[in-house]
Amino acid sequence: MPKIIHYRNKCIGCGVCYEQQPSLWRMSRKDGKAILLRGISKKGIFQLTVPGEVMEQSAAVAKACPVNIIKIV
Amino acid sequence: MKKRTVDILAPVGSFDSLQAAINAGADAIYFGVEQLNMRSRSANVFSVTDIKKISQACKAAGIKAYLTLNTVMYDHDRQLLRSLIKEAKKQNIDAVIAADFAVIGYCRELEMPLHISTQANITNIESVQFFAAFADVIVLARELTLKQVAQIVADIKRKNITGPSGELVRIEIFVHGALCMAVSGKCYLSLHQQNASANRGACTQNCRRSYLVKDADSGDELLVENEYIMSPKDLCTIDILDEVIQAGVSVLKIEGRPKGADYVHTVTQCYREAADAVAEGSFTAEKIASWKTALEKVYNRGFWQGYYLGRQTGEWATQSGSAATEKKIYIGKGSRYYPQKKVGEFTIESGSIQIGDTLLITGPLCGMVKEKLETLYVNGAQALTADKGDRITLLFPLKVTPADKLYKIVDTTHA
Ligand code: SF4
Repeated sequence: MPKIIHYRNKCIGCGVCYEQQPSLWRMSRKDGKAILLRGISKKGIFQLTVPGEVMEQSAAVAKACPVNIIKIV
Repeated sequence: MKKRTVDILAPVGSFDSLQAAINAGADAIYFGVEQLNMRSRSANVFSVTDIKKISQACKAAGIKAYLTLNTVMYDHDRQLLRSLIKEAKKQNIDAVIAADFAVIGYCRELEMPLHISTQANITNIESVQFFAAFADVIVLARELTLKQVAQIVADIKRKNITGPSGELVRIEIFVHGALCMAVSGKCYLSLHQQNASANRGACTQNCRRSYLVKDADSGDELLVENEYIMSPKDLCTIDILDEVIQAGVSVLKIEGRPKGADYVHTVTQCYREAADAVAEGSFTAEKIASWKTALEKVYNRGFWQGYYLGRQTGEWATQSGSAATEKKIYIGKGSRYYPQKKVGEFTIESGSIQIGDTLLITGPLCGMVKEKLETLYVNGAQALTADKGDRITLLFPLKVTPADKLYKIVDTTHA
């Protein structure tokens, strides 16, 4: 199954990911950056395995992120 | 110390630049942290924990430090915003620079001194009067003429417009650095093309590219002399600095937080000297020419005087990157320091150097140091050249660490 990777440190908190895919993203009220819901952190880099169905939308989100910190592998 | 009539406010995006600004004679510096600054895309962004160190360094040097919080603010930013302002207050940062009303409100509530950013686009005395309830310093819009600026300053005195401190409101304007093709930051090009909000610090600089102009009906391409039709040249007011100061401006602001320590040092030093020369009555054509030559050596897109003299149209850059007459090439980094002999060792990681080259070193302790290489020791023995992998030693007054970067300066005019 494909994986979403979020390099959270570099997030500028623009909110595009949350606007486009609220099922997977939230904006943190604490530090203003995006949260990949249920993502698992490895040294501040968050990963989440997702079912194939959401991939199309996730790929669009990855493309939309202005600082290119969302990757799909 | 000399009597200073105006403050030089330098941009700082790294500890190297901070030291460079201090060394070059800045009266104050401004910096951003985390994602709430217009330069959040740049590689090195300060974090909340750096505020303390920046404040301490500025206090030790006797200069002021301002925290810039001037992006578009969203609801999800509120807590971060409050904690940043609280931290700034705790660490004795001298003021916050802002345009958003949320920041203005929090500063007032938390009793944090405030300056109004150019992002607020203040162009008239009524607006100054409005914001005077919140701020002691107001950065005017970059699109005003000096006449308009002078009128605003005169009206502040005439109407006795005072800020929260009880003193007359002070006016700050940009004197040097990049200009935006839109009205200071009110630009949506990046947002339209790459979904990247410039007002969130993610400007992708689409205006800096070259464009062709095509007639959509006929398909004919219009002949434009310069393809960089949206990229304004950089602002440079060094040759009209006497007029700028006569307009009654209190703070001269330099743009360029993402730029290197060499830029910060050179530009700050030139404007420091020029402002002092104006104060002493020794602002001569010869000096102006030498400052201009120095300014042309660091990052620039060519210069013009902006809108201050009432020019109607902008002047456009003729290339995509810098038009600087000098370029710095990365050579290597610091590897050791011998404090007794005051000798620093650098390891060459790319390229080569030889006797006679001009070297540039930037680092958090030294800021920026530029010097001609007269004697060279490679791996302990005297030599004429050094290549990749070599360890060279230089006399250096300050501790050298791997944070110190060594560059070679090359002239780009005879390339
Ligand atoms: S789109 Fe990118 S930068 Fe914007 S909030 Fe999401 S992860 Fe952060």
